[in-house]
Amino acid sequence: MPEGRAAAVFDALADGNRRHLVALLAERGSVTATELATVLPVTRQAIAKHLAGLRAAGLVVPERRGRETRYRLTPAPLGEAVAWLASVGAEWDERLDALRRHLKP
Amino acid sequence: MEIRRQVELEAPPAEVWEALTDPERLGEWFANTVVLDVRPGGEGIFRWDDGTVRHASVEVVEHERRFAFRWREERGDTPATAVEITLAETAEGTRLTVVESAPFGPTALAGEWSWGLELLASLPRLRRLAHA
Repeated sequence: MPEGRAAAVFDALADGNRRHLVALLAERGSVTATELATVLPVTRQAIAKHLAGLRAAGLVVPERRGRETRYRLTPAPLGEAVAWLASVGAEWDERLDALRRHLKP
Repeated sequence: MEIRRQVELEAPPAEVWEALTDPERLGEWFANTVVLDVRPGGEGIFRWDDGTVRHASVEVVEHERRFAFRWREERGDTPATAVEITLAETAEGTRLTVVESAPFGPTALAGEWSWGLELLASLPRLRRLAHA
């Protein structure tokens, strides 16, 4: 998997406000920066910055609708990050099972 | 980010340690052929019959307690990950903990990536709610 992208995803999600934002996007489908500003306890500028960070990580895409820009979640990169964790975890589950069988007299 | 597993084994730490660090023993359960120089800075090569080859570099060797190395797959451009295996003696045998961590995600995340998984796990549910 593209590790660089997983890195960007986890970097983007290292911030509590951005996680909150992602959860809101997941809940509402799409939002505008103005809507976010009414829900999140941060400034419009901070929201714009967080949206830019999530956009850079490929997690949100902006969509122009008339005069407003709506942001939508694109969960594919999240799936890749989870896939990394899941595959490495599954590998160790298998190896530890093998170790247990190996140690059985 | 990292993955962590813990298992209870019905064998004393000395035996588990040998299974983990003796190349011949490793060849019986871990990989198909193993070359491993078990000392800090030592190199290791794990080969599997499906053609997978992993190169390891040993970092920490604390006899019967802690074994840590970095490794990466020969093919592809996957960056090296760090593996740390710790053993603790228990009444029944040995508690083995393994942590494999990737060099991505800020270090501040180490050990607390679980919020990420929680969030990610909740996404399908959140999306269903959104579409309900």
